Amino acid sequence: MTRIRLNDVLLVVAPIFLALFFTTVILLAVGASPWDAYRNILAGAFESPEKIADVVAACVPLVLCGVGMCITFTAGQWNVGVEGQIILGALFATWVARNLLWPQAPVLTLMLLAGMLGGALWGVIAALLKIYGNVHEIFGGLGLNYVAQGLAIWLIFNPWRPADGATMSGTDPFPDPAWMPRLAHLRVSPLAVILALLAVVVVYFLLRGTRWGLELRAMGKNFRSAYLLGVPSTPRLLTAFAACGALAGLAGAIRCSARYGRMIPDIAGGQGYLSLLVALLAVSRPQWVPFIAFFFAAVGVGSPRLELNMHLDSSLGGVLRASMVLAVMMVAGLRMLLNQRRARAAGETPSQDVVESGDAAG
Amino acid sequence: MDKRRKKFFYALIYAGAALLLALCLTLCATATYTQPEQSTTFVLNAGSESQALPVGDLVLPSAMTWYVYGLVCAFVGGWQAARLLQRNGWALLAVSALAGIAGGVWAATGALYAAVLLMGGEVWAGAALLTGLAGLVFLAGLAGLVCARRRISLSIALTAIAILAVFAFLIWAARDRSTNLTGLLSSALLRSVPIALAALSGVLCERCAVINIAIEGMMLTSAFFAALFGSVAANIWHWPSWAAFICGLFGALLAGALLGLLLAVLAVHFKVDQIIAGTAINILAVGLTSFLSSRILSEFQNLNNPGILNRVSIPLLSRIPVIGPIFFEQNVLVYMLFAVMAITHIMLFYTRWGLRTRAVGEHPRAADTLGIDVFKNRYVNVTLGGMVAGLGGAFLILGSVGRFDEMMTAGKGFIGLAAMIFGKWMPFGAFGAALIFGFADALQTRLAILQVAIPSQFLLMAPYLVTMIALAGVIGEAIPPAADGQPYEKQ
Repeated sequence: MTRIRLNDVLLVVAPIFLALFFTTVILLAVGASPWDAYRNILAGAFESPEKIADVVAACVPLVLCGVGMCITFTAGQWNVGVEGQIILGALFATWVARNLLWPQAPVLTLMLLAGMLGGALWGVIAALLKIYGNVHEIFGGLGLNYVAQGLAIWLIFNPWRPADGATMSGTDPFPDPAWMPRLAHLRVSPLAVILALLAVVVVYFLLRGTRWGLELRAMGKNFRSAYLLGVPSTPRLLTAFAACGALAGLAGAIRCSARYGRMIPDIAGGQGYLSLLVALLAVSRPQWVPFIAFFFAAVGVGSPRLELNMHLDSSLGGVLRASMVLAVMMVAGLRMLLNQRRARAAGETPSQDVVESGDAAG
Repeated sequence: MDKRRKKFFYALIYAGAALLLALCLTLCATATYTQPEQSTTFVLNAGSESQALPVGDLVLPSAMTWYVYGLVCAFVGGWQAARLLQRNGWALLAVSALAGIAGGVWAATGALYAAVLLMGGEVWAGAALLTGLAGLVFLAGLAGLVCARRRISLSIALTAIAILAVFAFLIWAARDRSTNLTGLLSSALLRSVPIALAALSGVLCERCAVINIAIEGMMLTSAFFAALFGSVAANIWHWPSWAAFICGLFGALLAGALLGLLLAVLAVHFKVDQIIAGTAINILAVGLTSFLSSRILSEFQNLNNPGILNRVSIPLLSRIPVIGPIFFEQNVLVYMLFAVMAITHIMLFYTRWGLRTRAVGEHPRAADTLGIDVFKNRYVNVTLGGMVAGLGGAFLILGSVGRFDEMMTAGKGFIGLAAMIFGKWMPFGAFGAALIFGFADALQTRLAILQVAIPSQFLLMAPYLVTMIALAGVIGEAIPPAADGQPYEKQ
């Protein structure tokens, strides 16, 4: 028994070491000191209250999108269109911010709602393409990402062009009411954090405690048998994509209202793909998303320090995160193999889970 | 998909169509422009250094071509409708004959008025253009409805309409000017090469039931190593250019094979979800190449300058007008694509290995029962797939751009996967689909040069829209290998 427990502990810790080992090899290969690099990332993320606030702020869109993606993963769908849904959310919110000159409370409310609407719209288009056009959601989503990107650039460079000429730095700053209030001098908005946490709680209960969540899970486990058992798959798919899109759109609205205070072409900034990894590592459990997002955000906020202090490109953070995911998967696979071997040694038939599950969570 | 849903889909198309038809009629009634006498010149000679025999230019009167286009559309619509007679009786025939003719005329007039209005710089031009496009969608829906059972004629009708539409659009875009058609087609082929190689890589992997979504990352990493190895050989060791090219190619193939092997280990051995594995490899590739290129390539510029391959003319064949410059005056990597494509096709469909691969892709348990080593087959195929993707990366560097830039693949791997689906998991089909995407890409650049009044951002979206429409257009036709994406577990 002790041996097994030791294995289990190793299997949790091993991915972290594997990923660190891999990045260390790369750092040594380019002749940089790994120790300094990791210290710089840590210091860059946690050395002052301002930095910690930045990490929390960076967490918010990741949590929102990650939680949203838990919904579509649960339904067995690959919603890689989150990037585009963030952009659409930001576009809709920007439209509200530019056109409605009301006091802060109604403007912000409307911006967030409009953002959710925009994201949901883009999500539903991917779902419609999937259901009625038989386009795999991965291609629909990726295609829509590029379309959304083109749309954003066109809007920024034509109708929403600032008076002194359009640049990649985006539109004019929003009028004051459209800025999300921040906590003192810190760059974090309490409202955004509350919304993100609220989203975690709501999605957790939606997936765990409602019929809708149960039906989504049934679809994710086995689409065909869920359909045969009477789960209305079309409305469920549409609502799942709409819910995920709404959360992603909310993230987009928050990014342009709380972080930039304007619409910029790179408003999504790869958050969609990152949150895909977050949701993967969380195995579609919303309650784990904030912790993983926190780690990802910390690496993201800490890495630019590499560029300042060590002249290393901050994309090292991306390498660290991706190799972490790969290592986690490898170790999970290893654990499964070990379990099977153990089961086989004990004379049981190995489980059929792997072959049958179309379950996106793997 | 159940029948009711399909009907709903077509009902949507027709509802939208009716609405746009009303818009079109209003436009036709209000617009009082006439088409001026204009003509479009297509240059068919490739350029001064081309060896092809010179031919005269192709001059087309714009207005005339438009009318012909409208007639053809109407004819195709009517022809499709007439085919209904055999199956569905008179009522439906009458409706769809009318609909077909109306759709054809509608598409033509919409596009015609778009042309006229755009020349006058009117605001409504966009709306009219949309009307023309809607007419096309309408026709496509009609063709789909009619040929739901006969798939081959559906593809033919769709392809005919699409080619005509693109050609008509080009005639309009180049009105009163001349544009080089041979050059356009040649650059279309060049742009389709990486997409075709990505698609071939996908075919190799998916025929043995491993979904390879990591092609993008494989191409990017291979491109980086092609640039690095090629430059080291050319600029540090001062090898002759052909040796440097081989060295770069070797680097690309090595990187592709290693990533393919990584995917195989994850997908076959560890039975990780293949899409997760692929996504993680993609993100890793982006991070790794950005990091290494900012660390190495941007500091030492001569490490990012492997040189571009020269064009090689094939004797005799390259002297054929139009076709010669397009297919037989390209660089070695393009010829390698043709070779890889032919070899893949022959291997997959005429050798024992291919039969085994397809068996593993359709029913691994049956294959295993017959003594085929499923794991080994998948390892070999996915690694080969990685190498083909690596060839795509090498082409980007050595055959096209000549230097590595971060994120330079720009979605080509994904478009390649779409081409694979569109080509129904067949090597030649995938190449054909890749040609369409390559043409969309080349056309977009050409339209930008011709200064068409459409914002460039919309032109940049075009390949992705084409991808989605193309994928949606193959309803029920694209059937993947039965075991696609499922890890195999020995019993």
